[in-house]
Amino acid sequence: MQTLQDPSSLSLFDTDHFFPNFASDHSWEPGWLADHRTESWEKFRKYKSSTSKDENWRFSPKHLFSLDKILQLSDQKDLVQLDALESKEALFQNLDKMILDFPDDLSRITDHDGPNLGAAQNYYLTSSLADNGFFLGTQKGAEIPEPFIVEHKTPKDEGITFERNVINLAPFSSATVFEFINSDESTSQGNASSTLNITLGEGAKLVRVLVQNVNNNTTLHQFENFTLSKDSSLRNVTIHLGSSQCRSETKGDMINRGAFFENFSLFLGSGKQLFDQRTRQVHSASDCTSNLLAKNAINDQSKSIFSGLIKVEEDASNTNAYQTNRNLLLSNEAEADSLPGLEILANEVKCSHGATTSKIEEQELFYLLSRGIPHRSAEKLISLGFLEEVVEKVNNQDLIEKIRALIESKFDS
Amino acid sequence: MIQATEFDIDTEKGNFRFDTDYAFDAGVGLNPDVVRYISNVKEEKEWILNFRLKALETFLKKPLPTHWATDDLKNINFDVIRYYLAKGQKPSRSWDDVPDDVKNTFERLGIPEQERKFLAGVEAQFDSEAAYSNMKEGLEKEGVIFVGPTEGLRDHPEVFKKWFGKVIPTSDNKFSALNSAVFSGGSFIYIPPGVKLKQPLQAYFRINAENFGQFERTLIIADEGSEVTYMEGCTAPKFETSTLHSAVVELVALKGSKIQYITVQNWSNNVYNLVTKRAMAEEEAEVRWIDCNIGSRLTMKYPGVILRGRKARGEVLSIALANSGQHQDTGAKMVHAAEETSSNIIAKSISIGTGRSSYRGLVRMPKHLKNCKNNTECDALLINSDSQTDTYPAITVQGEGNSVQHEATVSKVSADQIFYMQQRGLSEGEAMSLCVNGFVNDLIREFPMEYSVELKRLIDMEMEGSVG
Repeated sequence: MQTLQDPSSLSLFDTDHFFPNFASDHSWEPGWLADHRTESWEKFRKYKSSTSKDENWRFSPKHLFSLDKILQLSDQKDLVQLDALESKEALFQNLDKMILDFPDDLSRITDHDGPNLGAAQNYYLTSSLADNGFFLGTQKGAEIPEPFIVEHKTPKDEGITFERNVINLAPFSSATVFEFINSDESTSQGNASSTLNITLGEGAKLVRVLVQNVNNNTTLHQFENFTLSKDSSLRNVTIHLGSSQCRSETKGDMINRGAFFENFSLFLGSGKQLFDQRTRQVHSASDCTSNLLAKNAINDQSKSIFSGLIKVEEDASNTNAYQTNRNLLLSNEAEADSLPGLEILANEVKCSHGATTSKIEEQELFYLLSRGIPHRSAEKLISLGFLEEVVEKVNNQDLIEKIRALIESKFDS
Repeated sequence: MIQATEFDIDTEKGNFRFDTDYAFDAGVGLNPDVVRYISNVKEEKEWILNFRLKALETFLKKPLPTHWATDDLKNINFDVIRYYLAKGQKPSRSWDDVPDDVKNTFERLGIPEQERKFLAGVEAQFDSEAAYSNMKEGLEKEGVIFVGPTEGLRDHPEVFKKWFGKVIPTSDNKFSALNSAVFSGGSFIYIPPGVKLKQPLQAYFRINAENFGQFERTLIIADEGSEVTYMEGCTAPKFETSTLHSAVVELVALKGSKIQYITVQNWSNNVYNLVTKRAMAEEEAEVRWIDCNIGSRLTMKYPGVILRGRKARGEVLSIALANSGQHQDTGAKMVHAAEETSSNIIAKSISIGTGRSSYRGLVRMPKHLKNCKNNTECDALLINSDSQTDTYPAITVQGEGNSVQHEATVSKVSADQIFYMQQRGLSEGEAMSLCVNGFVNDLIREFPMEYSVELKRLIDMEMEGSVG
């Protein structure tokens, strides 16, 4: 008996002809990349079958991140714009350009993996279909004070864009990267899924700042996987203001001794926004330090999920690892979920985590009110102060001002 | 040469015979007949049998919770376990059979002479009639009911039936379903309104009963304004041959009452101790779980309080000590379901050798509630380089004026502290013991005096040989 199936119930990626079509559109690419795309595609398809309960999705309305509703790939190729910083010591290019002109530098992406904190399926899909992205590579010992600036855009059509972003710092080089994600207009239901792999060589130093202010119809997937070698240091600051739902996975793996990893994030939520954040600090070697601060201020019916894990492997003695999650509830209906975790297998460690959730302290509010500051402004001031702890981790005064203005304007809207 | 087959003439053939031992053997493995056996032995009413059979179905249907729990659970072979041992079948031992190290431990912990034989399983009952009978009389006068589950459900259904299986439904988890199917032993307690017991109740009191069952079931109901402290277990190592223990403990604290439930358990290294404990606290009631877990291969125990009435308060104080080959997976659950409720969790764990201790917590405050508070502190101490500790809290907060704070630290005994004490003439081992005792001291003080003394000695003993 033949069953009639409504074609619209099949998601874009379930259709038989989807990937062959995609591959033939990309037949100009080098063979290794085609193989990599196919391999990732197969991993994606394999993951589809797993339906078991997953701690990595605890508290998360997983269906909101489902790919089934996606109708098309966005055909916009210009979604990542680079600020052309002239530097002889660095290679800073779009993904397209890299594929054409510097395939050898790019080919290391075949060794990359995702943070694998629950959404591995989407990571593999993104690896397979990435059409946009940027690459930054430095030369050994290069010290570049000016920031590299990347502007990401969400698609205007109702499709999805996949991005593959790579930062490789050679030993003893240092760099700063500022990334912005915006939408060109305020209504389009764009989707963006992007991967960022950062590899730091010995003694390399990187500051990376992400300011995300897309429109409130956008679904975002962010996969960040960082590898830190001996004595390298990474400061990762992410500012999340927009999107209707954002799943952010960040893993920092300290593979050699002396690495230093900082991860700071803030989310200011309103309406029905959802910020689903999963982080992991992996101490694979001794004498490493990691510090994480996640601050969420949530209003209306917005929801934040913080799920973080500090993993200290057996050989990682003399570890210092800290993790702090602070949630500020600005309304009665906002929801903060917190899953701060520790897994410690070594004993020479100093490790702690703290998580608090509360509303604005009555006394603080009273103090401001008694000085004639209206209620709304007082709340705003206190919230700004709450978020400031993350904002000030940005190492650039101009950008700090810009972020403050964005946060304030979100409050005022 | 062909050998003629010998015939065995069965003269019994065709004879009709009752197996007179049936009441004592439920056999090995788990099926509806075993459940019927148990129910039959206990001469239970129909509804209890049906409750058990339904629970068995639920047990068979439920998967092991290995998506979050350790895979070690898969090593339990449910088919080789005896689910019911009646008195006649209890392994009988003589005092000489008891291993020397167990005897030694009794000696060093200062366990009273009388109790030793009982704890070692030499005597099926604890000979304490004289010591406790006065107290028992007193309890009866006050209207306190203190019986086993069989008697409780048979003689006082009007009291216990209402709450039995209500705080922890059968389908709560696989092991609560297992317990619901095969439970035997445990305590059913009812404290009438306004009765405040000065002496703690202990499972010891109830002589001639199966106090420490494999699948014990406890239900404590504290009526309005009453107060009770219940203690189970003891610091002495329990000499056990059965490997799966799965108890269900339900507490019901009605308006304004207080229940304090103290557990000190020291299982032998082959035991899976998978326990479901939960309390329900009505308006202005207070429930306190004090829990000390030592020994066992795997302990999974997360005492919880459902704060159902305004201003109810829940507290969990827990100490876990995991030595080599042991995994203490303990924690607490606080479900806030009414306004102005507060909860406090303090968990301390010590991992020695290759031991692993985990804290798993759950705190939930839904959006229609106001002014709820929770404080959680978990501290872990690692003694050796192979020791392991994990912390997995889950916190959900909504609503107006609700606040939660959670804090966890992991540390080891600092070399400075050890050095300081060694300088003053303590051996390294003694210094380490002192540090560990200091680490848990503020919690141990919450235990009744005799327990805290025993606990300190026990920790000293566990620490032996762990340094150097």
